[in-house]
Amino acid sequence: MAIAGLGVIGAFFGMLRAQEAPSSERSVWDGVYTEEQAKRGEALYEKQCSACHGDKLAGRESAPPLTGGAFLSNWNGLTLGDLFERIRRTMPQTSPGKLTRQQNADILAYVLSFNKFPAGKTELYRQAEMLKEIHFVSEKPAAKK
Amino acid sequence: MSRKKFSEWKSLIVWAVVLAAIPASSSAQTRTKDTEWPSYAADLAGTRYRPLDQINASNFNDLEIAWRIKTDNFGDRPEYKLEGTPLMVNGVLYATAGSRRAVIALDPATGELLWIHGEHEGKRGGSAPRQLSGRGLAYWSDGKEERILYITPGYRLICLNAKNGIRVPTFGDKGEVDLKLNDDQEILPDLTTGEIGIQSAPVVAKDTVIIGAAFREGMTPRSMRNNKGYVRGFDVRTGKRLWIFHTIPKKGELGYDTWEKGSAEYTGNTGVWTQITVDEQLGLVYLPVETPTSDFYGGHRPGNNLFGETLVCVDLKTGERKWHFQLVHHPLWDMDISSAPILADITVEGKPVKAVAQPTKQGFLYVFDRATGKPVWPMPEKPVEVGNVPGETYSPTQPIPSKPLAYSRNGTSIDDLIDFTPALRERAKEIVSRYHLGPVYTPPVVSKVEGPLGTLTLGTASGGTNWPGGSYDPETHMVYVYACNSCMEPIGLVPAPKEISDIKYIAGTAGQEVEILKGPGENAGADSPKPAKKKAGAGYVPMNIDGLPLVKPPYGTISAINLDKGEISWQIAHGETDDVVRNSPALKGMSIPRTGQETYNVGTLVTKTLVIAGEGHVTTTADHPRGAMLRAYDKATGKEVGAVFMPAPQTGSPMTYMVNGKQYIVVAVSGGPYSGEYIAYTLPSNEE
Repeated sequence: MAIAGLGVIGAFFGMLRAQEAPSSERSVWDGVYTEEQAKRGEALYEKQCSACHGDKLAGRESAPPLTGGAFLSNWNGLTLGDLFERIRRTMPQTSPGKLTRQQNADILAYVLSFNKFPAGKTELYRQAEMLKEIHFVSEKPAAKK
Repeated sequence: MSRKKFSEWKSLIVWAVVLAAIPASSSAQTRTKDTEWPSYAADLAGTRYRPLDQINASNFNDLEIAWRIKTDNFGDRPEYKLEGTPLMVNGVLYATAGSRRAVIALDPATGELLWIHGEHEGKRGGSAPRQLSGRGLAYWSDGKEERILYITPGYRLICLNAKNGIRVPTFGDKGEVDLKLNDDQEILPDLTTGEIGIQSAPVVAKDTVIIGAAFREGMTPRSMRNNKGYVRGFDVRTGKRLWIFHTIPKKGELGYDTWEKGSAEYTGNTGVWTQITVDEQLGLVYLPVETPTSDFYGGHRPGNNLFGETLVCVDLKTGERKWHFQLVHHPLWDMDISSAPILADITVEGKPVKAVAQPTKQGFLYVFDRATGKPVWPMPEKPVEVGNVPGETYSPTQPIPSKPLAYSRNGTSIDDLIDFTPALRERAKEIVSRYHLGPVYTPPVVSKVEGPLGTLTLGTASGGTNWPGGSYDPETHMVYVYACNSCMEPIGLVPAPKEISDIKYIAGTAGQEVEILKGPGENAGADSPKPAKKKAGAGYVPMNIDGLPLVKPPYGTISAINLDKGEISWQIAHGETDDVVRNSPALKGMSIPRTGQETYNVGTLVTKTLVIAGEGHVTTTADHPRGAMLRAYDKATGKEVGAVFMPAPQTGSPMTYMVNGKQYIVVAVSGGPYSGEYIAYTLPSNEE
């Protein structure tokens, strides 16, 4: 078997990501939810989301994963406002829009927690406009290691 | 009209709107030059191949958008999981679209909407196990009449006049057949909420419409009992049922005895939820059957469980079984046969063979003589690990194809782990030390807090090749197939509390709350079962290290497999290196070849010279803004020859056609914040 087409992409390394947030901007690495909120979100997730997205958020044939490469890639460079609105408008699939803003924020907190983004001292906002100020950055910044 | 009747009527509103005349005259003038894509996978053989070459290596980068259509308004809300592949036949492009699973007819050159048809199913659609727009539809013509057939989320077969989108009144009951009826079983609990549906496209072969069945995900079912997924053939003219094949045999039928302790009576699922393939000349239908009820625990269905995870060949006219081959005995890994079998006329050791090749989640391409079912290359039964989950029974052997070798990972070992740096390998080893590892068919274990938490698997539920399947070039006898090489599935079992499920063990992790993966609103009220408290140190372990996959690249591949030789000719990583990998501080300064992506729903298209596939993930690089690329490879070598930008990942497999002298490639994109859209690419007019 010949392995072909494994093009070198090393040139990409060292380049600044176009969407990288300046240090003054908040990101998911800045402790934007609380552990207590994530716990509430977990209970909600189990009732409202897990039937399709799975208990390990890994997704299945019927729903995309909410963790791992596909999830992190598809939201990287956007904001929590984008993700919150996606949940609020379209989920749960059988009854979109039925959850309150608080419930949606709690579920989002659980998804962040599951993906090992750090918890903080304040709960996640409930308004998409405010959540748009928090950037979804998939890779952990070196300074926050 | 009484209130009740009005309500029933209202819940099944049907609409079709004709917006423009189908340009029959113009298509008639050029039809001889047109190249059609008349069924979901291009043809009934499942090839996803068209011998077109106007778009080629020299100009792929010049592709521009000919037209695009968002599907947001074809339903009461946008959908973000558009998986359809359109048809193009007789000068019209047809597709399913939107959260209503509407049918649309478009001008294939301009994208102009010609007509639209929708069915409002109310609660029946809302409680369907497989919702949204599905994978597509089927076209039929006798040379005079043209019909479009599709299946609603609520599991009704609808027959439309292809010229205007209006139901054909002479088909079934005013243009529909209720697929929850006349199924040799009573769909429980009732016709509205009874769990059965389908998302794949129906197949029409020689005036017979063939339809399978799908259910909810089966990791943690509520019960060992469920509706069964039989396959039926219907007369395309009348909607009359012609035959049925019992994927779980009834008493007296072959295979009934492979369900010990009477388990054939109550076990369900075992449907055909993916695409069905037909050889019209031989008059044979190839059915890729899924897993029986309960993906990971089979203690309530002792025996080999025919026709679970079996490739079954039936007669096109009668549905009578001709041959079968069970790929996995007593299924325990959710290795549904997940994609269309591929028909291939090949030459093996100088002799012509009419073959059928089956890509799988477990990364084996099973190749059979499609007339007899005999393996083209030996598939000896080999001993596999026998587990010790209480109540479970195991098959001590499984058939392992000797050729071709597995084209994606189907087991786990330390050697598979991330090895960019020794430190990352050590962290990965630490994580997997809490799991049971082993080769393909290493069985699930009961999850224990002290370990193992589960069996760590690759090439199971989400691994290898899923519903998009492969492509086949009938001229060169090559199969091209995408596979997820890194979709890891930890499979642990936990005892299911009786109030949650009557199954002894369901998927879960020790120390986590025992939970059923349930529908919205269930067990939410007072007196619902209280979950057990979590134990410290237990629970979910992330299957990545700061976003880096636990296994080493390539994460997703396209393989070219020579079916004359049974050998992999080339294999490439498909998909740009994810941002989380490319920008990882842990890898700073390292030069890493393209890794491919950890995703399982990429479909391929093969043309005269190219293999074409889009990416399943979004990336942002120096070469392109946030988006995904539709990539073209030289089909002889796998070398990339071009790429074109898409605003979102490919979520439906690409197709191609030639109309009025121009070649088009249409692909469905969606995902994340981007709602569904079909995009048609073609060459700039000045380069025709």
